[in-house]
Amino acid sequence: MKGLLEKYHKLLSLLLALSCTAALAASAGSPEVDIPPPKQNYSEETLCVEPVEIMRKQHFEFVLSHRDKTVIEGIRTKKHSLNECIDCHITANAQGEYSRYSDDTHFCASCHQFVAVNIDCFQCHADRPEEAIRKAKNSNKTVDHSEQTLKDYLELSNIDSH
Amino acid sequence: MRYKLKLDLDLDDTTEEVNTDRREFLRGAAAIGGLTIAPGVMLYQTAAAKPAGQAVSNQQRWGMLINTNVCQEDCDACVTACNEEHGLWDLGRPKTDAQWIRKLNVKDITTGHVTSLPMMCQHCEHPPCVDVCPTGASFKREDGIVLVNAHTCIGCRYCMLACPYKARSFIHEPLEDQLPHAPRGKGCVESCTLCVHKVDRGDNNTACAEACAKDGHQALLFGNLHDPNSEISKQLEKHGGVQIRADLNLNTGVRYQGL
Repeated sequence: MKGLLEKYHKLLSLLLALSCTAALAASAGSPEVDIPPPKQNYSEETLCVEPVEIMRKQHFEFVLSHRDKTVIEGIRTKKHSLNECIDCHITANAQGEYSRYSDDTHFCASCHQFVAVNIDCFQCHADRPEEAIRKAKNSNKTVDHSEQTLKDYLELSNIDSH
Repeated sequence: MRYKLKLDLDLDDTTEEVNTDRREFLRGAAAIGGLTIAPGVMLYQTAAAKPAGQAVSNQQRWGMLINTNVCQEDCDACVTACNEEHGLWDLGRPKTDAQWIRKLNVKDITTGHVTSLPMMCQHCEHPPCVDVCPTGASFKREDGIVLVNAHTCIGCRYCMLACPYKARSFIHEPLEDQLPHAPRGKGCVESCTLCVHKVDRGDNNTACAEACAKDGHQALLFGNLHDPNSEISKQLEKHGGVQIRADLNLNTGVRYQGL
């Protein structure tokens, strides 16, 4: 093992240097997309329902524990509700259009794509506020949803359609 | 009572801001009034919404009374309203499209009389779908509403076989444009939720019953079966109401008149 390490020492250090540069570049940047801002701050003290650094790390734990309370016990507090996240964070852009989870300008997707996370939430849950969905349903009545949904699904699940 | 209210608040997310909405405040005040008139005796139960942070209880048992005498054969306002309320968009495949409520026309061959009635989940007290579910996804809420927890449903469809009312649908394909209050997805079974989102909001009615009343038929009456002063309990006491397949002893929450 030691011999092997010495042999590939140069290659290893090169790799290490490269990965450090990549990591630095990554930490310096955040997703470079234009995401519409949330509707409002949660309160004067905090931007979101919990401090932002906690939300970044633990938002899924909050919605996970809240979902069982809601489904089974009928507890409908708004603070950790997924619908409230969507309602506040997913807003219309300057053109009045709402992002879908399949877009990189979607608040959730922008970060999930950046950190390479795949989630199932939006296969069932709404990825936009209700008014956006109702609006889309009324203007798109002629769209063939069967093909569109299959395409979206394959894209979302990273399944190769070939 | 104050102590009770304190407990209710404690159940809530403790750091959540107190709701200062006037309507909520008045509802709370009404609930206190109802109890302090006669301490120890429940004079009446308010129809007010429960606080959002409070779990549902068996103080309520939500049910529906359907008067088939006034249900019109050519009307499907309840079905349309349900589809619109829950975003059950038509995929153009009637054999597999989800159906939470459907209209049946039943003909008595001896008299030729046709009875028209809506059929949906009967929200049984002893639901066979819950008995057979291998994962516990099919469950009955404390207030009697039978639901599917899509987070644990594995799509085995055993409940669909067990249900005597053919009330459940399976989602065969990826969906989109689901509404926030009615999440639905491929591989899960679903059925009438008795408009659980409306019930929890305190609407005290369902989309189908509202649509029926709007069309002037008033064949559907939603209410609390455990409250003797609710309209549904009064109607049931006065005129009665039968269960479909009463022989199965499921004690359904949906009752019919005129059958």
